[in-house]
Amino acid sequence: MTELVNNKVNKALALVLGVSLFAAGCATAPDPADEAAVAAYEEANDPLEPMNRYFFELNRFADIILLRPAAEIYDGVLPRQAKQGVRHFLDNLRAPVILANDVLQGEWNRAETTATRFGINTTVGVLGLDDPATDYGYARHGEDFGQTLAVYGVNEGPYLFLPVLGPAPPRDLTGVVVDQFFDPLTYIFWDDGYTVPVTRFVLNGVDLRARNLEVLDEIERTSVDYYATIRSLYRQSRAEEIANGQTNVEDLPDISNISFE
Amino acid sequence: MTTFSQAVAPSARPLTKLFTGAALTAGLLFASLAPAFASPKEEAINYVQQLADETISILSKDGQTPSEREAAFRELFTKNLDIPRVAGFALGQYARLPSPEEKKEYIQLIEEFIVKVYANRLSAYTDQTFHVNGAVEKGSKGKEVIVDSKIEFASGREPVPVDWWLLRQDEGFKVFDVKVLGIWMAQEQRDTFISVIRNNGGKFEPLLKHLRAQIGQAEKEIQQKLTGEAQPQPGETPSEEQDAATASE
Repeated sequence: MTELVNNKVNKALALVLGVSLFAAGCATAPDPADEAAVAAYEEANDPLEPMNRYFFELNRFADIILLRPAAEIYDGVLPRQAKQGVRHFLDNLRAPVILANDVLQGEWNRAETTATRFGINTTVGVLGLDDPATDYGYARHGEDFGQTLAVYGVNEGPYLFLPVLGPAPPRDLTGVVVDQFFDPLTYIFWDDGYTVPVTRFVLNGVDLRARNLEVLDEIERTSVDYYATIRSLYRQSRAEEIANGQTNVEDLPDISNISFE
Repeated sequence: MTTFSQAVAPSARPLTKLFTGAALTAGLLFASLAPAFASPKEEAINYVQQLADETISILSKDGQTPSEREAAFRELFTKNLDIPRVAGFALGQYARLPSPEEKKEYIQLIEEFIVKVYANRLSAYTDQTFHVNGAVEKGSKGKEVIVDSKIEFASGREPVPVDWWLLRQDEGFKVFDVKVLGIWMAQEQRDTFISVIRNNGGKFEPLLKHLRAQIGQAEKEIQQKLTGEAQPQPGETPSEEQDAATASE
């Protein structure tokens, strides 16, 4: 898995580097005299926007011809219980990575929750196909190394949108790579032709897409710029995940002096 | 109070009575003034609760035509949402870009957009209950309060967390922004609108064009939905039944 991911990441990085050099020439940095444009450029924090938009369209195309139809079949053919079983199973496989990051963030209570969940769901939940732990009061939470880095004070960095992976700014891309090392499956299936990790990656993608069929349609329909909306949604939901629901309201922008009438 | 009246009881009964009377009067006086002394947080929570009640009463009113429902939502939104502030915030540094006429149309379009999109989205809710969890003040002047709430569903669907960002105006609280599932709606609009303007050479008109198109599209879909509901297509009926069957499982 690591090799696969490393390979993929290496290729992706080489591609990104190549295209970004090209894009850097094309990216329209604003006229320094135009204050509003400079502010807009900085707020977007997306210096590689032309390249990112290109990859975004590429993914959208792949979604239309491949991912979306697969997700629709998956959603239509499988009964609800089966889909839930798949989700629970995939969630349970993810537990070691979540646990590692809980610990790295010093979140002992959450680490305990994750460990307990893994114990209960692997046994009582029949290899993770069911999720009795939630009913026992151990609700699931997610964690990843991108979030751990954020807790350590690392900024997200400029926005980056990659083929297949989607939104992956440097901090979170690093997180994805590091998380592979926390994942027991990486070591168990080290030499095994990647069937298991790849199946998991694909199934995870299809399941995620299937659960967001209507939501994504609605977002696309009601957006004046789908790319910018997804960028905003990604950043906001990451901020929410990193804060673990403990957002400081004083960090919200100052809106008391806006007058626009 | 008790110890005091016990102490004076044997010698000064009339005095105790007087005290009790005074205390009672004072109690009544304060009770009637209580709403004025409610903390900004309590006030904000009451406001949100009332807003939710009004929304649910619109949603559960029987025998309403869709246009009546939309009108009811429009009244609710324009009364309780600070639309000009949202409109200004969504432009960021470009707030001084539009001409007075463009500004006027832009605010109207935003209102239309919000009414169409959210009246439609809210109409999908049928089996929900609303709970306020608490409130936090932003700043220390009691002018801004964030109320934390949750929508729960009888169907067992995951609850949806909703935060309300309220700002006090002369006539009471108004909503500035709503955070659903971790996403602040006005922030999302801002990120998108600024992007449209910047990618169109810093011009305002393209944003208006996009908004008009978006509203037209929403209108068309609502119409399609209506005609679809009135005369179900023969081919669509079974799949709808199937959906209902899967949902009830």
